[in-house]
Amino acid sequence: MQQLLNGLFTGSIYALFAIGFTLVFGVLDRLNLAHPAVFAVSAFVGIELVEVAGLSIWYTLPIVFVVGGLLGIIIERVAFRPLKNRPDAHFAGLISSIALAGMFIALLQWRYGPNTRRFPADSFPSTTFTVFGAQVTLLQVAILVISVALMVALTLLVAKSRLGRGMRAIAENPTAARVLGINVDRVTMTTFAISSALGAVAGALFAMNVNSAQLGMGTAIELKGLAVIIVGGMGSLPGALVGGLLLGLAEVFAVANIGSSWRDMVAFGLLFLILLVRPQGLFGARKVREV
Amino acid sequence: MFTESTLVFIALSAIFAYSFYAVLVAGQLSLGQAGFASLAAFTGAALAPSPNDVGDLPALLIAIFIGMTVGALAAVILGLPTMRLRGVFLAIATLAFAEAVRILIINMDWTGGAQGMSVPKILEPWMAWVLLALVAYWFWRQGPSRYGRALEAIREDELAARAMGIDVGTHRLSAFIAAGAIAGLYGVLWAFYVRLIAPEDFGFAQAIDGLVTAVVGGSTAFVGPLLGSVFLTMVPEVQRAIGIEAGWIRPFLASLLLLLVILFLPGGLASLLPRRVARLVSGSDSEQAELESRLAQRVHPTEGQTVVNLQGLGKDYGGVHANRDIDLHITGGEVIGLIGPNGAGKTTLVNMISGLTRSTSGTAEVLGLDPGKVAVHKVAAAGVSRTFQHSKLFARLSALENVMVGGHLVSKPTFLRRLFWLPSARRDERRLAVHAASCLERVGLGDKAGNRASALSYGDQRRLEIARALASDPSLLILDEPAAGMNHVEADALSDLIGSLSTDGLTILLIEHNVGMVMKTCSRIVVLNFGEVIATGTPEEIANNPAVVEAYLGSAESEEAS
Amino acid sequence: MRTNLFKLTAAAGVLALALTACGSDDGGDDTDGALAGEGSGDDCVIDGEVAIGAALSLTGAAASYGESQKNGLELAAEQLNEKEGVTYALTVEDDQTDPRQAISVFEGFAGDGTSLIIGPTLSNTAFQAQPIAQEEGVPVLAISNTAAGITEQGDYIFRNSLTEAQVIPQTVAKSIETYGLENVVVMYSNDDAFTESGYEVMASSLEESDVTVADTLTFSKADTDFRALLTEAKNLNPDAIFVSGLIEAAIPLVTQARELGIDVPIIGGNGFNNPQLMADAGEAAEGVVVGAAWNSASDNAENTAFLADYEEKFGGQPDQFAAQAFAALHIVDHAVREDCSADRDAIKAGLGNITDLPTVLGSISINADRDAEHDAVVQVVKDGAFTVLP
Repeated sequence: MQQLLNGLFTGSIYALFAIGFTLVFGVLDRLNLAHPAVFAVSAFVGIELVEVAGLSIWYTLPIVFVVGGLLGIIIERVAFRPLKNRPDAHFAGLISSIALAGMFIALLQWRYGPNTRRFPADSFPSTTFTVFGAQVTLLQVAILVISVALMVALTLLVAKSRLGRGMRAIAENPTAARVLGINVDRVTMTTFAISSALGAVAGALFAMNVNSAQLGMGTAIELKGLAVIIVGGMGSLPGALVGGLLLGLAEVFAVANIGSSWRDMVAFGLLFLILLVRPQGLFGARKVREV
Repeated sequence: MFTESTLVFIALSAIFAYSFYAVLVAGQLSLGQAGFASLAAFTGAALAPSPNDVGDLPALLIAIFIGMTVGALAAVILGLPTMRLRGVFLAIATLAFAEAVRILIINMDWTGGAQGMSVPKILEPWMAWVLLALVAYWFWRQGPSRYGRALEAIREDELAARAMGIDVGTHRLSAFIAAGAIAGLYGVLWAFYVRLIAPEDFGFAQAIDGLVTAVVGGSTAFVGPLLGSVFLTMVPEVQRAIGIEAGWIRPFLASLLLLLVILFLPGGLASLLPRRVARLVSGSDSEQAELESRLAQRVHPTEGQTVVNLQGLGKDYGGVHANRDIDLHITGGEVIGLIGPNGAGKTTLVNMISGLTRSTSGTAEVLGLDPGKVAVHKVAAAGVSRTFQHSKLFARLSALENVMVGGHLVSKPTFLRRLFWLPSARRDERRLAVHAASCLERVGLGDKAGNRASALSYGDQRRLEIARALASDPSLLILDEPAAGMNHVEADALSDLIGSLSTDGLTILLIEHNVGMVMKTCSRIVVLNFGEVIATGTPEEIANNPAVVEAYLGSAESEEAS
Repeated sequence: MRTNLFKLTAAAGVLALALTACGSDDGGDDTDGALAGEGSGDDCVIDGEVAIGAALSLTGAAASYGESQKNGLELAAEQLNEKEGVTYALTVEDDQTDPRQAISVFEGFAGDGTSLIIGPTLSNTAFQAQPIAQEEGVPVLAISNTAAGITEQGDYIFRNSLTEAQVIPQTVAKSIETYGLENVVVMYSNDDAFTESGYEVMASSLEESDVTVADTLTFSKADTDFRALLTEAKNLNPDAIFVSGLIEAAIPLVTQARELGIDVPIIGGNGFNNPQLMADAGEAAEGVVVGAAWNSASDNAENTAFLADYEEKFGGQPDQFAAQAFAALHIVDHAVREDCSADRDAIKAGLGNITDLPTVLGSISINADRDAEHDAVVQVVKDGAFTVLP
């Protein structure tokens, strides 16, 4: 039971991280590899806010959300917009976002040094519950609830709001969307902002979950995030949620039954399996009209 | 600044970048090369004989052979299941493969796990550079060969490449295998230089590094990876030399530099060099005559012979009937016009005939085979050639090169012969160029052969598509709205061209909205509406058919006015 | 056009090769002159500066260790330069946790006349870069390489960092004795050379004892969530958990273990020897056993002064990396002053003669294999500080 809950909590963070990736890919057909850097930046910023400004961890989340949004706007403006009309926009965007990520991490090292940083002691509520014999902290429950709430909010946004309709239009056909009067640039910018904001909250929550922030934390989760979006289906929001939870659960299952040294292979095993059996992912449904 | 290791690492990272270049040339974003390198390095180091027994160079050569084989095999193992993936999907899948290899190697005993495997240092700078020169030579010879052009065509527009008769699957796999072998070479050379190899030497960061080097260098010229490697290897050296403080600022500046290069140099560093463009050659008269007799001549269906036979053909997209119950019989030498309102299903029909779309009902026979059952390139090989409603040119290739790709099926492979500088390869290339030039002349683009396809005007692009379609000497030529954007004069010229092609023995299927042109050019017209044939007949019959008039043509008065 | 490009590339290649030939010739030839001095020991006076090069990981994956090492070296250099007679010119270079950079930096130092090289930070990189110094006859003092075989690379390679085999067996033995262990679980990160080699010694020590290892669980050095593994461990009801991991893993592991209700002793190796353990894990760190090379609670004169000076200069407590780096420069100073020469071979000889030298690590000697020998320590966290396990 404990393992099940462990998997669920870890999985919810994978999912929140992956959702940012999949949102940008689904709407804009771009893979943003600066996303893991935003994840790391927000963790450090969150810690600083608690340490320096003395805020409670819960209040840091909205601020981190905004910081993430700003970073997303920067990423879009600097790394993706200038490349819009190039024939190799896919590759170029990948590399430019990698470059920007490198800059972010270097700046993090400048400000915070290379060491791991942690929240000050007593930042977290120490309440623990016992659920069916397993230990669960209030913090973990809060993380799960916040992750799910944000994902639901995003899904509703995309499905029901005007912005969401704009996003879906652009996903189908950017030229047509522009012709119909949708401000493609503004929607693109907003999409990046939301995606990064979510990634930022994921980073802060992750840092709270393990009480540590390291410069390399983004790269560690990056590949798992990519595996999640393929398994769940590129561009599918429920897919990212289900994929993330599935990965979290599969990993604890592997640890419990196969052996911990192969745990990281689970992500890739799932990935290859899905690619072979159902390449569009569990929930994906992208059809490409070719001619 | 130029210490021994700098020279070696420039060469090695250039070789690694070439393994990315090998697939980037074909437009595939594969990031698994680090995995291939890793497997090759460990296997080569483990299986190669000790240099004490056989000498330095022989041991290295044996290790290289082992490593390249392992790399190629790994590429096949990764390439086959990922064959259907494109773009970012492929990138992620291959990246995951590289990571999986890393974890695999960490967990194995014979590799030494995280503590690595010790390897004697054999490699010297001259060896690395000789091997680099060989790799660069390979790609230098590949570029202007039939194979190289086919890869570039796949990169520019995969579907159009298929329609020109290029077997995309085989080409992609071969590019993959080349990448695997070259990555394997890199892995072995790395192993025999650094004295200790550990799985972390081939991790995520290195995989990305290799890609970055290839992209910064540029994937449109064969010197790209070398330029990228020199640039990126020298950045930390230069930073050290000019005294930038060791610490966070160096990676920051390096990343900034990378960002600037990507933003401001779209083709990478190689774009600073002028791109070699296939030169236009005007053939002498004797060459032209030789051309006629030597070029692989297709036997065209004669008058009355069935070219296309469709019976009850339909295409159903889950409830939407794009085509329903089509019967169509085309015989040799006919010029068939296919008209109808937008959305009538003309393009879908033509897609089924050329093999791009599978039908959901009915039967089809085109030039002796069922287009729904064979790959697109086989349909092209049977003699079908086409243009597209929305131009699908190979944008970054010149007009001449576009047409040369069109001639893929009627030309001989030249890559292997070019590796050995055999004069027959040069002759074959020249023949193809002459043939392509004559196709361009035929559509009136003779003077624009050296222009980039994307730089041509819309009208010229439409004509280029036709020239390209002609290059394969097809038996059935399908033209999808070729006169779009043409004025009267141009449309008339096109009409004459179609007439002359028909006289040469081609069967032509023409989709057009320019009704006047259709009436003048076609021997028979088929009218589609709502996915079905509503009328067939001679131009006069069609013009007077009330159903057609109502659906599409408009009344007789307005027809005369147009 | 194509042929021109080819010729150009070929010409550039030839030019580069020629430059290398030039590059590796000069430098490293000043054997005497400004490097030799007069006197010996405290009276030694050398006119020129003694060039010490340090190749450390200041950025990249090992950056946090590199930074500690740099701090230790800088503090030591500052203090040594206040002493009369010998002035050290310390150049710290960054290998960016990349073997290519490490090799290049070593070549640079070897070529520009540096008297001694310190580093690199990681053992794997050491195997890749140190042979260059060996070939060029530059003495190397390794300050954090604990793998087996480092000093076997050649007679110019020394180290002042104890190997795993010198630290862990006594940690294991003491823990078994103190806590009466019979059944344990072992955890380690298997994608790091240091922690893996630490594990191997741990495992063989446990095997030699009567203790049963109920299970061995692996994690990745980038991991920070150990709950799944710890739950597995908890289910096996061990008497203790042995961990070979780096400090980044140690802190969350210990914290999460206590959260999950695991109360048994947790025993770690060199990687745990960091004041951050107590600072960041707080209550959870109480009772954690750490077997290490450096006894931070030692009250010897050198150590007490070091702790105070480090705190004053850097505003925090030093860890083992800083301590070993600090001690290294003092060891080098002793070797230089012995023959009063900054000549590479003189320093090499001097290092070989180090016997019972008082340092922050304790009384240290360099043995015939060029490895360090000094007392290792088994510590336990008590009241928020490391104390020696009685």
